[in-house]
This record gives sequence, structure tokens and C-alpha cells, in this order.
Amino acid sequence: MRRIGSTGSAHAGLMEWLLQRISSLYMGGFVIYLVFHFLVSPKPDYAAWTGWFADGVVRLAWALFILSVLVHAWIGLRSVYMDYLHPLWLRFSVSLLTAFGLLALGLWSAEILLMINL
Amino acid sequence: MEMDKNKKRPVYLNLFQIHLPVGGVMSILHRITGTVLVLLLPLAIYMLQRSLQDPAAFADIVARLGSPIGRSILLVVVWMFAQHFFSGVRHLLQDVGIGLEKTAARRGAWLTFIGSGLVVVVTGAYL
Repeated sequence: MRRIGSTGSAHAGLMEWLLQRISSLYMGGFVIYLVFHFLVSPKPDYAAWTGWFADGVVRLAWALFILSVLVHAWIGLRSVYMDYLHPLWLRFSVSLLTAFGLLALGLWSAEILLMINL
Repeated sequence: MEMDKNKKRPVYLNLFQIHLPVGGVMSILHRITGTVLVLLLPLAIYMLQRSLQDPAAFADIVARLGSPIGRSILLVVVWMFAQHFFSGVRHLLQDVGIGLEKTAARRGAWLTFIGSGLVVVVTGAYL
């Protein structure tokens, strides 16, 4: 525990490093796609908006995007916590709160994507 | 004994005491924008939910985003996202060995500021 307490984010795992890159590539690609999508259809009304979400591929793309955001947020915040939250109890509590918060956001998003009125 | 020696090494992460080079400013902005964007996630998901609920809720969201306050907040969020995006791209390029040399790294950091500024200007003009 003392060693964990004294090392910074430089010693975080390779898996985290890789996940951070993979998620960033997916999010970057998805956001660029979104920008072009909304440039082509500048003024979406409710029908067009929900119609777009009726497409299963679009919903899957959104689900993967939200998953990437949550994974990316977890790894990123953890690095920040390791550098700036020094008392172990504080880092632990904030990490726990973050984990539950992100998990809740993921479940909420899943509910939205699954329950859309089509 | 060794551990005790190790524990006393100076940790110098106080941002108010160190003068950061441009890459450092960009790096801390990457962290701040990332953290704030995460804090905004609940609001973003709530807006997604409302926008899909019914035509009235959709119109409400569109109206709120179109109001002067909504537009201002939106532009700040766009800036934060663009800054985080461009510094992230710089990070990925450095992972594959591009822009690692000192002057190139500095130029890259400046480019992220210029890029995010441009995105804000273009978005502001387009909205």
C-alpha cells in the first residue's frame, strides 16, 4: 500500500494505456462522423432525430461511444487522482464514488438506448 | 531504510509554484478539460434522454440550447472538447514518434490552442 501511495500515474498498467488509446480513436472517429452527419442535415426535427436513432447500427455506434467515454473517463480520472489525491482514504473514496457514478451513467444510457419510442 | 529515503524525495506538482512551459500548460488543460467534461456527462445524458422523449421535450432542449445562455455554455463546452481532442491527437502522434523533438513538441502544443480556438470561432459563426 505504501508503494502504491508513493508512485504516480507513470506506473499505471499497459492495459489502461492501450484502452485509453483505443477508446480515444473510436470517440474521435465517432465525433468526426457526428459533425459531418449534422453538417449534411443541419436542422434535425424530432421525427428525423428519433428516426436516426431507430437505426440499430446508429444505436450500437452510440452505445460503443458511451462505453468508450466511460472507460476513457475512468482511466483519465484515475491518473489525475493518483497525482493529486494523496491521502489514501481520500483517493479510495473518490475513486469508489467515480466508479459507481460512471457505472450508473452507463446503465442510464443503456436504458435510454433500449427504451426509445419507435 | 531505502523506503524511508524514497519517501522523502521532493514531489513537485503544485501548479501554483511551478512555471510551466507551453507543453505543460497544454497538459494540465488536457486534464482540466477532461475532468470538467466528465462532470458534464450527467447533463449530456439527461439532454439525450429528454430529446428522445417526445416532440415537446425535444423542442424544449433545442430552445434552451439556442438561447444566449445555452449558446454560450455550448461554446465553452465545444472549446473544452476541441482542446481535449487536439491535445489528445498530439498525444497519439507522439505515441508513434511524431512531434517528440523539443521545438516540434512546442509547436504542437501551440497548434492545439490554435485548433481549439478555430473550432470555437467556426462553431460560433455556424450556430
